[in-house]
Amino acid sequence: MEKIIKSAKKNIEKVKKLYGNSSDLTTRIIKLGKINVGIIFMESSSAALTVSEHIIKSINMIENDKKIFESVFDNLKNRIFNSQVITINDFEKFPYFLSAGFTIIITDDSDEAIVMETRLPLDRGVTESSSEPILRGPKDSFTESHAKNLGLIRKRIKDKNLWFDEVKIGRRTQTRVNIAYINDIADKKEVNYIKKTLKNIDIDGILDSGNLREYLINEKSAFPQVQSTERPDLVCQSLLNGKIAIIVENSPFVLLVPAVFIDFTHTPEDYYQKPLNISLTRILKFISLLITLFTPAIYIAITTFDQVVVPNELLISLAVQRESVPFPTSLEIILLMTIFEILRESDIRMPSNMGTAMSIVGALVLGSAAVDAGIVSPIAVIVVAFTSICSLIFTDIDFMNGIRFWRFIFIIFASFLGLIGLVVAVMIFIIKLASLENFGVSYLSPFSPFNISAQKDALVRFSTPNIFKRPSYIKIKNYFKQGGSHEK
Amino acid sequence: MKNKIIILLILCLFLCGCGNYRELNQIAIITGIGIDKKDDNYEVSMLIANAGKSETSSKEGESKPTVYSGKGSSLIEATKEVDRKTPKQLYFGHINVVLISEDIAKEGFLNVADWLLRNPESRKKFYLLMTKDKTAKEVLEIVSPLEAFPSQNIGTLMESNEETQAIASSITYSDFINNILNEGLEPVLPSITVAGSSKEGESKANLDKTSPSSYLKLETLAIFKGDKFQDYTNANDSKLINILKNTVKQSVFTINYDKTKVNFNMKNIKSKITIQNNQKFNIKVKGDATLAEINSNTNLNDEKIINNIESKLNNQITKDINNLIKKLQTKYKSDILGLGNMIYKNYPDTWQKIKNNWNDTYFPKAQINIQTDIQLVSTGSLENTIRKEYQK
Repeated sequence: MEKIIKSAKKNIEKVKKLYGNSSDLTTRIIKLGKINVGIIFMESSSAALTVSEHIIKSINMIENDKKIFESVFDNLKNRIFNSQVITINDFEKFPYFLSAGFTIIITDDSDEAIVMETRLPLDRGVTESSSEPILRGPKDSFTESHAKNLGLIRKRIKDKNLWFDEVKIGRRTQTRVNIAYINDIADKKEVNYIKKTLKNIDIDGILDSGNLREYLINEKSAFPQVQSTERPDLVCQSLLNGKIAIIVENSPFVLLVPAVFIDFTHTPEDYYQKPLNISLTRILKFISLLITLFTPAIYIAITTFDQVVVPNELLISLAVQRESVPFPTSLEIILLMTIFEILRESDIRMPSNMGTAMSIVGALVLGSAAVDAGIVSPIAVIVVAFTSICSLIFTDIDFMNGIRFWRFIFIIFASFLGLIGLVVAVMIFIIKLASLENFGVSYLSPFSPFNISAQKDALVRFSTPNIFKRPSYIKIKNYFKQGGSHEK
Repeated sequence: MKNKIIILLILCLFLCGCGNYRELNQIAIITGIGIDKKDDNYEVSMLIANAGKSETSSKEGESKPTVYSGKGSSLIEATKEVDRKTPKQLYFGHINVVLISEDIAKEGFLNVADWLLRNPESRKKFYLLMTKDKTAKEVLEIVSPLEAFPSQNIGTLMESNEETQAIASSITYSDFINNILNEGLEPVLPSITVAGSSKEGESKANLDKTSPSSYLKLETLAIFKGDKFQDYTNANDSKLINILKNTVKQSVFTINYDKTKVNFNMKNIKSKITIQNNQKFNIKVKGDATLAEINSNTNLNDEKIINNIESKLNNQITKDINNLIKKLQTKYKSDILGLGNMIYKNYPDTWQKIKNNWNDTYFPKAQINIQTDIQLVSTGSLENTIRKEYQK
């Protein structure tokens, strides 16, 4: 800790030196009688208008009051126009507050400094979620503003037990990371573990919540074990279920732990629509999951090894389509899958006004022209297109990429050993998923280990009045959502 | 430990011997096989479905079926000759139909049964038919205007016939061999022939005509004794045999009533053969009949008349079945109903004594009692006859 010198001028000199005379560092000295009042703020992160409105006005007002010359500091502290006024006595804390958009006031008569909030709102405002759109339900999404993000959660859960624990990470970025949980639901042990893990991170910078997830859990599988979302309603749902949310400053994506496999197949919208229809949608999603994982592998297996299982007319039709294709089936499929993945990747990176050009190239040239040229068979295009469409039904990009990874593994097994190879690959797949565990929760919960009460909201959804308990596979303190004892 | 288990699992893969990699465009998919005898050699004809794209319609995925045939002293030798003629590997997994000519059937089916049964690739669930008057190759070559592939044509012909007329019943290769091997049961086999000139039917030009000059036609059932062909039945008997063997659910039937013919559609037909003792058998036939065509001026609103028609239908069927059984006992001497099999199951000791002479001595003597319970459930869409309405 470095003490603050009792001189506004000297302190300002010191700060200027610290920042290497950065052009956005703004300082001003106002004389109140014999006492200098120094004002320091960052032009780039503070709202200059707020500074002038609040501080300069307050000082001028105080100036008119003759009594104050004895203790300028105390008077300023008590009479300044701002809701968030802190006093600090550590010079080392100056850079953090300055960069965060605070204004520092120092006077000649005190070794303390007044810090007040004058932040410039450097965010785009609350907009509609672009990566997880829904039809029915709240449309707002998190932004880059930390206070707004916390506010979006706080305004939904007005419970005093919604706690935010703050940790600052990053030697240079000093990023604020908040661990949000509901104190009497979430498991305290996990909260403490996460807090400890986060505190131990020693890195120069954290720019997004994505940087943190690798510290939280060692993800050995291609499938994500940490859910990330930009929907406040999903975060609140998860908090109410006893999960823990990690909100990182400047990141519109909030991390949720522990995440299990089925979390990635559900959407918050599931709870805003009719349970019967949502159950059908969930079953449909489950079918698409199977389709997107296995279709190309099954196609390869049954056309190159196990033709016996294909119905007569279909086999003949397939054989005729493949007549002039020069590549082996597996290579043909891998080729098309790769092209699709490239298309998808470039579609994300590309500015949206070039989309038309890309869809023409993608759909016409790579699709029908490749078939006409005899490079790929029409059925292979159908298989790959169908597979890809089914994978787009899930919103989490890491989940989609996990599916893609395993799809390629299945393709490789199926191209060498046919259906038997595929069966073995599926066994490895299930063993691998079932062995995953995060924060004491098995990844395939509630199916393995089987949890009857949680089935009410797994593959199908019962109506909300009938679901009394929170998912009991997550370690929580209070199991009852409705009914039962509120305490335990 | 976990790694060891995974390695063990992967090693298991190499224990199975069926891994056989081949691309779809490297195989010749055989959908139909015809077996003929020429002099002392067998002639095997194979209908290959994907012999190449037809040039005009490369996009629609249409293929040009082609028949390849080869001769040899054994079926395998004949196959090898076919193999030499085709640039692709012969693939037996999708055979739809196998045709055997009358010569082969007369000589004994077991002479040719081994080949396809031993082939691990073939599914054994394809239809088996006998060709009447024509060679198997000729039947295989007929191009049908209604189906894409000739072999498919035969399959659907059989299936639709089973639904409507019940003259032919679909019998698969493995069913047929099971029937041969079953004690006290003689097999039957549907037969097929070409109507019209078979030469013209082979060409695709046959497809362009409004009325094709030749087409496939299902014939009546052929009665076997053991693996040898005995005789053809007539159409009515074929129908009754199928009813008695429970291989069909629907059929049509005609009786004479009031000097005109009355036609019935029969549904939910069930027959049950029970054994009383080793000489006496009961056959029960149940079913629902619907009036299909009646052109007389009978008053169908009269319950007595309806009952009369119903009893007449029952009598007619009983009489027909009796006639059929007489024929089986005396003329063909072939127990296709499996009465011997019932003795074998219920009185195994007796069966051991009589099994060698069952078809020739004991079966003709067996007493068979027939009961029919056909109910006239509906008169169709019309309540009365048109003539009756006209007279009003």
